[in-house]
Amino acid sequence: MTQSHRIDGGQIDRAQTLKFQWNEKWLSGHPGDTLASALLANGVKLVGRSFKYHRPRGIFSAGSEEPNALVQLRKGAAQEPNTRATTIELFDRLYATSQNHRGSLEWDLMAANDLLTPFLSSGFYYKTFMWPKAFWEKLYEPAIRASAGLGRLSGNPDPDHYDHGFLHCDLLVIGGGPTGLAAALAAGRAGARVILADEDFRFGGRLNCETYEVSGQSGSGWAQAAVTELATLDNVRLMARCTVYGAFDHGVYGALERKTDHRATSGGKPRQILWRIYTKRTLLAAGAIERSIAFGNNDRPGIMLAGAVRTYINRFGVAPGREIAVFTNNADGLRTAADLRAKGIEVTEVDARKGDMIVDTKGRKGVHSAILSNGRTLPVDCIAVSGGWSPTVALTCHHRGRPQWRDAIAGFVPDGELPPGMSVAGAANGTMTLAACLADGHTKGTEIAADLGATGAAGDAATAIDEEFEITPFWHVSQSRARAWVDLQNDVTTKDVRQSHQEGFRSVEHLKRYTTLGMATDQGKTANVLGLAIMAETAGKTIAETGTTIFRPPYTPISIGALAGRARGKDFRPYRLTPSHKWAEENGADFVETGMWLRAQWFKQPGEKGWRDSVDREAMAVRKSVGICDVTTLGKIDIQGRDAAEFLNRVYANPFLKLSVGKVRYGLMLREDGVAYDDGTTARLSENHFVMTTTTANAVTVFRNMEFARQCLWPDLDVHLISTTDGWAQFAVAGPNSRPLLQKIVDDLNLSNDSFPFMACTECTVFDGTPARLFRISFSGELAYEIAVPARFGDSVMRGLMAAGEEFSVAPYGTEALGVLRIEKGHAAGNELNGQTTAQNLGLGGMVSKKKDAIGSKLSERTEMNREDNLRLVGFRPKERSVLLTAGAHFLRPGDPEDLAHDQGWMTSVAYSPELGHSVGLGYLKRGNERMGETVRAYSPVRNQDIMVEVCSPHHIDPDGERQRG
Amino acid sequence: MAEFKFSLSAKPILGGVDLRIGDNQIKERNDLAIVSVATPLGGENALAQSLQDSWNLPLPTPTVASQNSDTFAIRTAPDQLFLVFPHSQPDAEPVVAHRLSGTGYTSDQTDVWVVLDIRGPDTIAALERICPLDAAHMPTNGSARSIMEHMGTLILRLEERRFWLFSGSSSAASFLHAVETSFRNVAEA
Amino acid sequence: MIIDHPLLGPRDAAEFVVKGDASLIDRPDGMTATPQELHDYAYLRDNPAGEHRELWYHEQGDRSWLVVTRNTLTHAVTQVELARDVARSRGRSR
Repeated sequence: MTQSHRIDGGQIDRAQTLKFQWNEKWLSGHPGDTLASALLANGVKLVGRSFKYHRPRGIFSAGSEEPNALVQLRKGAAQEPNTRATTIELFDRLYATSQNHRGSLEWDLMAANDLLTPFLSSGFYYKTFMWPKAFWEKLYEPAIRASAGLGRLSGNPDPDHYDHGFLHCDLLVIGGGPTGLAAALAAGRAGARVILADEDFRFGGRLNCETYEVSGQSGSGWAQAAVTELATLDNVRLMARCTVYGAFDHGVYGALERKTDHRATSGGKPRQILWRIYTKRTLLAAGAIERSIAFGNNDRPGIMLAGAVRTYINRFGVAPGREIAVFTNNADGLRTAADLRAKGIEVTEVDARKGDMIVDTKGRKGVHSAILSNGRTLPVDCIAVSGGWSPTVALTCHHRGRPQWRDAIAGFVPDGELPPGMSVAGAANGTMTLAACLADGHTKGTEIAADLGATGAAGDAATAIDEEFEITPFWHVSQSRARAWVDLQNDVTTKDVRQSHQEGFRSVEHLKRYTTLGMATDQGKTANVLGLAIMAETAGKTIAETGTTIFRPPYTPISIGALAGRARGKDFRPYRLTPSHKWAEENGADFVETGMWLRAQWFKQPGEKGWRDSVDREAMAVRKSVGICDVTTLGKIDIQGRDAAEFLNRVYANPFLKLSVGKVRYGLMLREDGVAYDDGTTARLSENHFVMTTTTANAVTVFRNMEFARQCLWPDLDVHLISTTDGWAQFAVAGPNSRPLLQKIVDDLNLSNDSFPFMACTECTVFDGTPARLFRISFSGELAYEIAVPARFGDSVMRGLMAAGEEFSVAPYGTEALGVLRIEKGHAAGNELNGQTTAQNLGLGGMVSKKKDAIGSKLSERTEMNREDNLRLVGFRPKERSVLLTAGAHFLRPGDPEDLAHDQGWMTSVAYSPELGHSVGLGYLKRGNERMGETVRAYSPVRNQDIMVEVCSPHHIDPDGERQRG
Repeated sequence: MAEFKFSLSAKPILGGVDLRIGDNQIKERNDLAIVSVATPLGGENALAQSLQDSWNLPLPTPTVASQNSDTFAIRTAPDQLFLVFPHSQPDAEPVVAHRLSGTGYTSDQTDVWVVLDIRGPDTIAALERICPLDAAHMPTNGSARSIMEHMGTLILRLEERRFWLFSGSSSAASFLHAVETSFRNVAEA
Repeated sequence: MIIDHPLLGPRDAAEFVVKGDASLIDRPDGMTATPQELHDYAYLRDNPAGEHRELWYHEQGDRSWLVVTRNTLTHAVTQVELARDVARSRGRSR
């Protein structure tokens, strides 16, 4: 448990010791450590196996760019694969294991892949697993899946929960390093509403990792003082552990805030929040990421980026090695040597600018020596490499901006085509020295705040001394004979890049897809520029000519749980309940989702064995006595205005101008292309007041389309719409005893056929004074009414109707019985209105008025939509009465082959009719209206049915409508 | 026939729920009536006069409700507003229609909506989790229609840390769940 | 995506439903139009790479139909108008 590599200094809390488990072994660290720094402090170098060759790998970086140190964090259901040890904040009793090996990490059986290198070069999958075709699913894919894929999911539901949220600001500063802090201070002091977000748990960025001074104090000290000041400003929101992962349209940014990842448990709060941030302006101060140099065996544990070495010694008080070689092509790399010496660590500088190079390394599970170009073998346990720094331009490219190559820094910088509202400052913009970054941040923060109208004083800029910055591009050691790695995460070598070019993959995007360079969790943050440089060299082009691949969101990986937020299980979407829901629950209802509504399908009674028993009983109750169904879910639209009747006459295909007050009319709506899309009834309550019902499914669409017609087509009609769907509890009361039942509950209203005939409607009161609306309409074909009361009375009215109906043995009925009744009666519903059917198909062709221009009416008159041999809605019954019909069966003439050319139509809806004692169906049949009594074949190969059916009227029951009018 | 007696009872959509989460409160308001008033084409001035005469209310702006005592006029569409006031009987619409005497088209919206009265120190933080609007910067009586957790919502700011949230009554249970979850996710309790 | 509503200010596109080409406002009068005109209205839309006038409906908002001028290449929104005003300006009335 000794932290063998812990040295003095750093921003860790040595007063507290945290214990944690790595591959089941207990180790210790301190608050302020990452898992990576704690592992290094304990002398752990080998942390994982590479993706393809299972090469031993160690910690390579100190940030979210980490390609190697991917681990499985936590255990059980909370286990999370592919987390970066370099970003995991250490907490007490943390549990992590290495991944992507079979057997132990030290003796990975899959390491044999490394010996198969000659066969596993780029494009290996495409070339090898070509044939035989059948082998792919059975052999190749399972084998590949087993050997690749990095970490493992637990297979259990994620025990954590996640949230989403929305934030608004004037200025979003992305990155809390020296530039971002300077900008946030300037804009915040000026009074702008600022959000400062940083992916790290400690603001300061590189200031925490370097030995620079800022304004006369240590860089990290200045950073903490800046944070302290910012925290006092009400207009500034500091968001640590928050990664801005994407730049979307119109100043919208996506950000992931890790709320409890640094704790052992989430304490019942969401683990992560996915924020949508609405900004007026954005300042990207995301800094830069260091890159490597490709040399032989440059992937061994102990070889890491030079800046990361400084991070470990300066920020975490950890020495990644005791004998360290620094291999650099730039001045910044030499700072690592200086900082190491200051800590008393032995260093050898290998400066490529002087012609010195590391050609190869030795040490299977941890580097132990470096072979230099001068032939010397250098004993080392760590190699710090710097190939230069690449500005973090990813977010500048999310609107397809392409960065430009800048020779002076040997890196890509934003090219000016930024997402609207975005500015870039500091190292992300190619400003590579500290004093310049502080000044840039301060200036841009001040300017943006002023642009946004903030009037406060931005205060003084922080000061520092600019360090030396010099780089001589140097990408790879050509003398190296061993494999030289470009992309550690995807096991791509210099040879793979060259081979890809030789095989004709000339575009960088093709290079990426062929070699997988720049893919996976790190998206090539440390590898891409190196790969491009080698590709450019191979092609004899400049890097500027070669360009980069497109950067896309997210900047770093986001768990699916965070994207889902609360939308899991029952919370996937809201649900809507009818006013009688509770009563239905108490009375044996089985519910079905129709859109967001939960509706009772049937009400099970004691002794009923299956749903059919319940449904048959309910349907028969309606036919023989009386039933009650909650039809609240039908869309209800209140329509008022001097031109309301005229408006309805234009949105319904059939005439509405002359509908009398106190009457209801069935209405058919067409799309502008003439196809039927909704139907319902509309009641005229007074001269200028109508109430429309729509189907449950189309309530929203009908409202939207009517608003379109009202605002865009006829803007000067006086007509007004408002939805009242949720406001009225509405019940169908259907059956021969519906009249005597309702007569018991209505106040002062004579329901006789003379005074309240079929298709009458009225406003009235019920149950001694409660306001209600009563409509005499029928979906079942029986004498029937619909009664509507304010929703607050819905539960009570359901109970009251049941009490009033007791003497008639009233039965509640659900959507299944509703379906049986309407199929028996031949009423079209969703199955029939499938987006292809015309009024003529429905047998309603005569309804479409030719005397007016209603939506869709003129195009519905087209010849093709009115051919005599078109499909017509008719009824069907099985020749063999005991057979149950199948919806979806296609009709054929007996003896015809089963092909499309002989297709005669299809069955849309079927039900067992308890009244008739056999199955009945509705369907579309060519010239169906002329074929009553004909026998056709109903053929359903998917349901394995092939039967003969008889064509009949769609009105299986009461074809003359005597019952509903009686 | 006159024998049958059954007395109806009105039921608050959420049973009058009143939750405390930390120092915050979520309470169903079931004492409010909501009546929509649509402006007849060309009748803006007449309606404005009528509102002024009958309720001493100016027309609300598109983003700020007008208030007189406990009556609010909230703009819900360019040619529509909601009158919201304490009233327990199911006759709010005829009452409003009578006072408007033809200057607006009225529709009873009381039962269309559930109203949650939310307040407490974590109110803004809770709204940040479900409300895409900048609730923190809404003025007093600021109003807006928006969408929260897939549900249409009307939001009205009453005080610094007190809002009314209106949403569809059929999805009231889901809406309460969404609001409650937001408070639980942010409140220290 | 943000739509700057002429009455309400900037609102998230999540509150809106898009319908498409604003030419749908120019519905021919069915009693006088030729079949070809009716056909073109129902079926033909331009799909420009660049500036496009589109109908958006503030369904989770104030129920206004808007005409949004949007560049389909850059997504830049350059103008937002109430569709009712646009309709009137194109001569639509009753």
